[in-house]
Amino acid sequence: MTQAEERDTEEETAALKAPRRGIFGRQTAPLLPEAGAAGAPLTAVIAVMSFLAVLAMASLLMVNRAASEWTSALRSEITVQVKGASAEEIESGVEAVLRVLRDTEGVLEANEKSREETAELLEPWLGDGNAQAFLNIPAIIEVKAAPSLRDNLDLLRNRIAAAAPTASLDDHARWHDRLSGAARSGQAMAFGVFLLVMGAACAISIFAARAGLAANHEIVSVLHLVGATDEFIAAEVQRRFFILGLRGALLGLFAALAALVVAGLAMRAGGGTDNFLPSLRLGGWMILWLAAAPVATCLVTAVTARLTVLKTLSQQY
Amino acid sequence: MDAGKEIVRFEEMGLAYEDAPETLSDVTMTLREGEFRFLTGPSGAGKTSLLKMIYLAHRPTRGRFFLFEENATEAPREALPALRRRIGVVFQEFRLLDHLTAYENVALPMKVAGVNQNQYREDVSELLNWVGLGDRMDAKPPTLSGGEKQRVALARALVSKPDLILADEPTGNVDPAMGERIMKLFVELNKLGAAVIVATHDLHLVQSIGKPVLRIGEGRVTRSAGAGGAA
Ligand SMILES: Nc1ncnc2c1ncn2[C@@H]1O[C@H](COP(=O)(O)OP(=O)(O)OP(=O)(O)O)[C@@H](O)[C@H]1O
Ligand SMILES: [Mg+2]
Repeated sequence: MTQAEERDTEEETAALKAPRRGIFGRQTAPLLPEAGAAGAPLTAVIAVMSFLAVLAMASLLMVNRAASEWTSALRSEITVQVKGASAEEIESGVEAVLRVLRDTEGVLEANEKSREETAELLEPWLGDGNAQAFLNIPAIIEVKAAPSLRDNLDLLRNRIAAAAPTASLDDHARWHDRLSGAARSGQAMAFGVFLLVMGAACAISIFAARAGLAANHEIVSVLHLVGATDEFIAAEVQRRFFILGLRGALLGLFAALAALVVAGLAMRAGGGTDNFLPSLRLGGWMILWLAAAPVATCLVTAVTARLTVLKTLSQQY
Repeated sequence: MDAGKEIVRFEEMGLAYEDAPETLSDVTMTLREGEFRFLTGPSGAGKTSLLKMIYLAHRPTRGRFFLFEENATEAPREALPALRRRIGVVFQEFRLLDHLTAYENVALPMKVAGVNQNQYREDVSELLNWVGLGDRMDAKPPTLSGGEKQRVALARALVSKPDLILADEPTGNVDPAMGERIMKLFVELNKLGAAVIVATHDLHLVQSIGKPVLRIGEGRVTRSAGAGGAA
C-alpha cells in the first residue's frame, strides 16, 4: 500500500518527466506478424510461377523474332523457275527471263543458281549422280526484290510469262502464309501459357490470403475493434504479399535467366544450324520484357491478395 | 436526466448466440455523456456480451441500438470504424497482439487511424509510464505478467482519448492498490467528459467509488442503487 501511495504522489510529475528512451527513430513493426514458416512455401510457389512466366515470355519473344526474321527474308525473295525439255530450251528461257528482270524496276539482284547447286539440293530425291535427270533440272533464278516490286508482282509475272512460257514465278506466298500462321499460333500458345501462369498466381494468392486471414483471425479482429478499416488491413496484407512476391519473383527471374543461358550455350555447343530454330540471343530491351514477367507475377499476387481480403472482410461484422 | 447527449441507447434489445435461448432479453437502457456505470452480475450473466454489442463486435439479434446517436443496428459496415475509434475498450482477456511490443500495442489505435507517430509518441510513453511500465515498453506481451498485460491493455484503451470507455474486469489481475488507482483514473477521465462503463465482480471497489450500478441477472439488466447513488 505504501509503495502504491508513493507512486500515487509521484505520478503526475513522473508521468510528464519520465525518460523516453529509444522511442525516437523507432521503426514500427508490421501490424501483421511476419509470415515466418508460411512465407517460405508461398515465396517458393511464386518463384516457380515467375520462373514459368519468364520462360513463357521468353518463348513469346523468340517466336516473335524468329517469325519476323523468317518472313522478312521470305518477303524480299522471289524465285523464278525455268523448265524445259532440253538444256538449250532452259538456257534460252533463262536468258529471256534475265532480260526482263534487268529492265524491271525494283529488282535489286537477280542470279541464276548454278546447276551444281541445284543438283546438290535435289540429290537426296534423285539419288547419287543421276545424270539423265540432271540434264533436265529446271533452272532457278533468285531475285532480291524491293518492297515496291513485291507489292505489285502481277505485271512482272505477266511479262515473264510472255518472254518465256516455261518460266514460273514463285513469291513464296504459300510459305509466307504458313510461316506466319505457325508463328501466330506459337505466339498465341506462349501468351496462353503466360496467362495460365498469371491465373495460377492469382489462385494461389487468393488461397494464401484467405488462409492468412483465418490464421490471423484474432489479430484482424483486434485491428477492427481498435478502429481499422478493411482497406487498412487489406493494404497491410497487400504490402506483405508484395514483399513475399518480389522475393519469389526475383528468384524465379534469376533461375529462368540462368536456364535460358544454359539452354543457349547447349544449343550453340550442339552445332551450327540454329538458322531455323528460334535463337536464344537476348537483346537489351528483351531483358526488360523478361523482367516484366516477374513484376507482373508479383503485382498480380499482391493485388489479388488485397481484393481477396476486402471481399472476405466485407462478409464479417 | 435531460442533460447530456446520448452515448448508448438500447431499446428492447435481445441477444441470442446462435440457436441458444437469449443471453440478454429486453434490455432498455441509456448512457449519456459524462455518465459512469458499473456493470455487475454473476459469472456468465452477460456482462461481456453487453459490452461486445456496444463496441460493435456483435450485433443484437433484436431490438434497436444507438451509438453516439447513430442507429448502429442499421449502420453500414463502412461506418463502423469511425464509431469504434470513439470507444476505448479494456478487454477481459486483454487481446494484445503478441508480435508487437507494449509500445506498439498501445500505439495501435493511433496507427490504425493513420495518425503520424510524432503526434502520439509522447502520449504513448506517458501512458505506459503512468501504468508503471515505462521500462517495459519494448517487451512483448508473452513476456509480461497478467497484471502488466492488463495495464498495457488499459493504456491502449485510453490512448485515443475516447468518448466512451468500456472496461471489462479491468482490475481482475492487478493488486488492490493498482486496482484502486485504475478505478480512480476512470473517475478522473469521466470528470473530463468520457462516459464510462466498468464491468466488475469487485463489489468492494464498486462501493468505494460510489457510482450507479447496472446489474445483469437472468438475462435482464436492472438498475440497482449504487453505493453512492449519484447521477
Ligand atoms: N461467442 C459465444 N457463443 C456462444 N455463447 C456465448 C458466447 N459468448 C458468451 N456466450 C455465453 O453467453 C453467456 C454470457 O457470457 P458473458 O461472457 O457475457 O458473461 P460475463 O457476464 O461476462 O461472465 P464473466 O463474469 O465470467 O466474464 C454465457 O453463458 C456464455 O456461455
Ligand atoms: Mg465477462
